[in-house]
Amino acid sequence: MKTKGKRKTAPNGLIRGQTRAAFFFCLPTFVLAVVFIIIPFAMSVAYSFTDKQLIPKVGIQTTFTGLANYIKIFTTGTTLLAFKNTFLYALIVVPFTLVLGTLLAVFVNKRLKGVKIFRLIYFSPQVVTMTVVAVVWSFVFSSNTNGLLNSILNLFHIEPQRWLQDPHLALPCIAIMYIWQNLGMQMLILLGGLQYISQDLYEAGELDGCSAWDKFIYITVPGLRHTLIYVLVSVVINSLKVFTQVYVLTNGGPSNATVTVVFQLYKAGFVNGQIGYSSAIAITFFVLVMLISLLQNKLTGEDD
Amino acid sequence: MRTAMSKRKKLLLKICMYTGYILIAMVFIGPILFLVISSFKPYAQIESDMSNFYAFLPHGTLSFDNYSNVIRKMDFLKYFKNSAVVTILFMAAATILNAMVGYALGMLRFKGRKIIISVIVALSIIPTESIIINRFIVVNQLGLLNTYLGLAIPSVAYPMYMFLYYNHFRGIPSDLQEAAILDGAGYGTIFLRIMLPLSKPILTTVAIMAFIRSWSDLLWPTLVTRDGTYRTLPLALKTLFSDTYTDWGQVFAFSTLTVIPTMIVFLLFQKHFVASVTSSGIKG
Repeated sequence: MKTKGKRKTAPNGLIRGQTRAAFFFCLPTFVLAVVFIIIPFAMSVAYSFTDKQLIPKVGIQTTFTGLANYIKIFTTGTTLLAFKNTFLYALIVVPFTLVLGTLLAVFVNKRLKGVKIFRLIYFSPQVVTMTVVAVVWSFVFSSNTNGLLNSILNLFHIEPQRWLQDPHLALPCIAIMYIWQNLGMQMLILLGGLQYISQDLYEAGELDGCSAWDKFIYITVPGLRHTLIYVLVSVVINSLKVFTQVYVLTNGGPSNATVTVVFQLYKAGFVNGQIGYSSAIAITFFVLVMLISLLQNKLTGEDD
Repeated sequence: MRTAMSKRKKLLLKICMYTGYILIAMVFIGPILFLVISSFKPYAQIESDMSNFYAFLPHGTLSFDNYSNVIRKMDFLKYFKNSAVVTILFMAAATILNAMVGYALGMLRFKGRKIIISVIVALSIIPTESIIINRFIVVNQLGLLNTYLGLAIPSVAYPMYMFLYYNHFRGIPSDLQEAAILDGAGYGTIFLRIMLPLSKPILTTVAIMAFIRSWSDLLWPTLVTRDGTYRTLPLALKTLFSDTYTDWGQVFAFSTLTVIPTMIVFLLFQKHFVASVTSSGIKG
């Protein structure tokens, strides 16, 4: 915020002029925000308490159903499973991204010739659109015995796997695609955080006879605390939004092992036309994301 | 310490580092290489190469057949045009309109400024996914299904972009604006002639964010396109991929062509690209 002292009391005319200008500058965006954010949000909240249908049946009115949709979320197998799968997905993505991202950041945080090029290479999967990532990796995870990954397993005399068609492996497969796409970007964010750690600390550590591992645990990780929290929260929230791989590759299968929250709210609302139910899933999802955002504010606000 | 380390040990360490760098690089670039190289192979070749190392090598008969098939038979150009129109519309509108809000909030003084800022912060918590079904219903009511406007406009007002701009503009010294006001310039002129030229880096960052977002979006086009006429590239690829018979060569050619524009933007604007992607890490 600007300091108050810098502001002189402006003549009324100036303020009036600026108010008018501000109104016109904000108007188009605010109309769009009302129509495409605020109204849909209000509809989501309102419809979540009704049995609203996409295509209303003749003679049947939308009725208020109270918490019925929310109760359904926690009692219907598939939707509950969608939340479970989504958490499981995040539980795979998040630790891998954080740990590997940090190690990778430390590994490329060297003044060696050409290291910048390697950083860009690690980042490059980010350039590949998720739909394409899904397509390419589905070929890697081909369930044929001579599929790419199965052939590699064969070298180590491991049985070929069904990958995306195996209820136990499908979700981890989908998670790997996302980790692959996303890791380099998180590495760069963490690399940025590393630059704020004073070199003196490492030199002091070296004088005290710290091993590389000691330095990593006692200097690097605490020094990265803020960046790690940021990465943690953004990866958690983004992984909760998983949709593309499911929609392109598995359609929620095999036996609902990859149904996720966003996929389920899409299916309930758009495919099955149950707007009320879909809205309730959406609002539950919103509350979840909001709680995580608030938690982040609390975590990062603590020692500032 | 470094100086105590013998030269040979140092060299050995260096070799180890580079070996590590290269091995890791293969994990990241392998699938991309595989995609691009396979897009030049006929289907039979892809299949016979898939169980060995040739999958990553330009091996056997290579040709542009997949590409010419994708362009002639798969309507690639139509989908490309759709994606391009939607992305350009979205980029232009999102980059400028949100900048106007950021400028007003950061540099103009008016009543209710603080309230608007808190509203934007509140809105930024709402994930697009949680309102998308009802946003679709609104777009349907407005008669915008199956139109470029319906594809591009609904996500233009974007709290995170507004916030980025707000942070940028409130850092610009107000003297510049005051001098211009004394010279009799209107706020529209000040914004266009003084503020925008001063804001090129942030404009580029937001434009690239908007580009990536729009170019790769799959869910929204799924909801608002009824048939192939307005289908965008990711959705067309998904449809091509889901067909009962998948010709992998064509799928890979289609995929490669879909990624090329992003690749070009990345190579041209490396720094901005990285900044865009990393700062859009949260919320969407």
